Amino acid sequence: MAATAGGNKIRNAKLVLLGDVGAGKSSLVLRFVKGQFVEFQESTIGAAFFSQTLAVNDETVKFEIWDTAGQERYHSLAPMYYRGAAAAIVVYDITNAASFTRAKKWVQELQAQGNPNTIMALAGNKADLLEARQVPAEEAKAYAQENGLFFMETSAKTAINVNDVFYEIAKKLLQGQQVQNPQGGMVLNQRPPERTVSSSSCCA
Amino acid sequence: MDPPPNPNPNATDAQPQAEAGVRLAALSLRGGRDLPPDFEIHEHHLDDDDDDDDDDEGYLTAASRGGSSTCAWKGLRDDDRDGDGDDVSPPSPSSSGYAGERGSSLDDDPDPEPAQDWPRNKKHLDEDDASSSWRKRKKHFFILSNSGKPIYSRYGDEHKLAGFSATLQAIISFVENSGDHIKFVRSGKHQIVFLVKGPIYLVCISCTEESYEGLRGQLELMYGQLLLILTKSVNRCFEKNPKFDMAPLLGGTDAVFLSLIHAFSWNPAAFLHAYTCLPLAQPTRQAASAVLQDVADSGVLFALLMCEHKVISLVGAQKATLHPDDILLLANFILSSESFRTSESFSPICLPRYNPMAFLYAYVHFFDEHTYVTLLTTRSDAFYDLKDSRSLIQNVLLKSNVLIEVQRSLHESALHVEDLPIDPSSQSASQPPQSSQDMSSQSLSSEMAIGGPAGLWHFIYKSIYLDQYVSSEFPSSISNQKQQKRLYKAYQKLYASMHDKATGPHKTQFKRDDDYVLFCWITQDFELYAAFNPLADKTQAIKMCNRVCQWVRDLENEIFVYGESALSWQYHHCWGGK
Repeated sequence: MAATAGGNKIRNAKLVLLGDVGAGKSSLVLRFVKGQFVEFQESTIGAAFFSQTLAVNDETVKFEIWDTAGQERYHSLAPMYYRGAAAAIVVYDITNAASFTRAKKWVQELQAQGNPNTIMALAGNKADLLEARQVPAEEAKAYAQENGLFFMETSAKTAINVNDVFYEIAKKLLQGQQVQNPQGGMVLNQRPPERTVSSSSCCA
Repeated sequence: MDPPPNPNPNATDAQPQAEAGVRLAALSLRGGRDLPPDFEIHEHHLDDDDDDDDDDEGYLTAASRGGSSTCAWKGLRDDDRDGDGDDVSPPSPSSSGYAGERGSSLDDDPDPEPAQDWPRNKKHLDEDDASSSWRKRKKHFFILSNSGKPIYSRYGDEHKLAGFSATLQAIISFVENSGDHIKFVRSGKHQIVFLVKGPIYLVCISCTEESYEGLRGQLELMYGQLLLILTKSVNRCFEKNPKFDMAPLLGGTDAVFLSLIHAFSWNPAAFLHAYTCLPLAQPTRQAASAVLQDVADSGVLFALLMCEHKVISLVGAQKATLHPDDILLLANFILSSESFRTSESFSPICLPRYNPMAFLYAYVHFFDEHTYVTLLTTRSDAFYDLKDSRSLIQNVLLKSNVLIEVQRSLHESALHVEDLPIDPSSQSASQPPQSSQDMSSQSLSSEMAIGGPAGLWHFIYKSIYLDQYVSSEFPSSISNQKQQKRLYKAYQKLYASMHDKATGPHKTQFKRDDDYVLFCWITQDFELYAAFNPLADKTQAIKMCNRVCQWVRDLENEIFVYGESALSWQYHHCWGGK
């Protein structure tokens, strides 16, 4: 999935993962970036930074991923990481209803404080643990639709849908820029740095 | 034997004889099951090797065998817990009495860990103060709030220990209500040490025969570790709400505290208040220091390059100095959190000795399994700058082969007492300073009779001016972990007695017991702690210590970090000393 072919544009995109302790944020990232999974992933401290490129058709997105700590003491730091993010994945654990409640709070916070252009995904992780499920997929799906998120159930353990989430985000990022430019709704005094690459692509 | 702590003597005075008798009977029943006493001791020791108690020398066994099972817990139980002091039934795991269970030294550990590593996750969450296994633990650490809410316990589930925490809080406030402060309670082999830090109480309950000062120092470090994670501004939460539940704020940090408690049984930095460096050739260290200095000049507060717990180089911005305790706590935090190893991390941390109120932001990156750089800044938005600084550092380290030299040093450069140069007078006449293997094999026959040169087994040298220490590798006579822990504890005790405020400070001490000859020598410039074979000759031992000091001075450019002097040398060297 590395960047291919000379000449195509590489687009940088800041992506942040938010969610409750133990939802599987780090596991999702490690599965996506390193193809690894460990059963007992230790708690993240502060935030961990990763980068990974993803090719979508003839374009490449370079994700700069902030895997934030779910621990309560780090909550006040979250804005530092989601500020200016092109995309956010809010993660919950399908076997833990409280983590879904927490995920909704993250969505609210992003809607209130974040950048309105941020692409938001809702990921119900640990989808391999069907027998322990506490959050029905339909409920999460309905919630996602109401709030304009795209939703997937994932399993970092079995790798189901993990790359797909990131791929979907990449696609939306690239679509977003195509749709957005004809609309011409660019506010001059707040130019998101991520969009600069996109504007140059139409002049190429 | 000291009597049990007993603020209300009448409650138990009538009982002690009878109780002790019953307890003894219970002990002989358990201890004597089918085994001769020696067998039990042996089994106990074997058990220790994969036990998580870092502090067990079989004191409990000794205590109970001698019939001196003064009940350490009795004071708590009789007077502050449920008051049923007449619990003379044979001990059972479900009984509320603490007395009898102590007698058994067999720690039936449900999940023994591999012996080679210390157990990182052995918190034993299934335990609480009603479990016999919990009561048998030889060293407990508790953190609680001044309203009695549990914040941290080394063993067991904090939630289940709410009642026990309330008891500890009651003891502290009972004494405070009389306008006094409780420091410790001693009872038989047990010592309960208290440390009050505003709304946060720290308590250690131990039967490891460590000194009060030593245990108090450990509690201070526990508090420092807590501040490193949360800063002292956590106190404000208690101002707003005295019943504030602080435990969730420390979520996910069990490994950090467990690893710190483990350090109390192996890391001399924990009682010496000094750090140690990785031995490196001077030019190698200078290459690292120079690039760290460049980075510090560009707005980083502290830049540290470390290999495990050893400093390769550290540089601070103008006038900013790092306290050795902060280095210990920072390294412990980073090394015990697996999270830092998976990628680059950016995390708020507080250096309690530098500024206990404020968070700094730490950029942490591991270059390899052991070697990592930590860049500390006051700017929360500095991540990308620090990332760039890191890649600059990485380039220099690779170009000047620093990382390779570090790996080599990690495996080869340790100080071995066998390598101690012989007398300068005879040095030229005999063998040249060849590789260590040659020398040790030649001297094997003569000196190994009592081990090492003149029976020297091990030493720690602390430079007072530099706040740094260097210690030799353990010799074959102190090869297993248990022996090493015992020596560590002996040094700890020696340190405490040398620095005893009531009787000290002292300049020298020579002490012989069954295990070692211990020698300590403190001057304005250094502190030397040395362990010899118990049969070592005193005059010879003192001679050896002089040689050790000379040896350390000869090697000082490789085994210590010289902040400014090393750098000024570097600059003079680079610019021709203009």
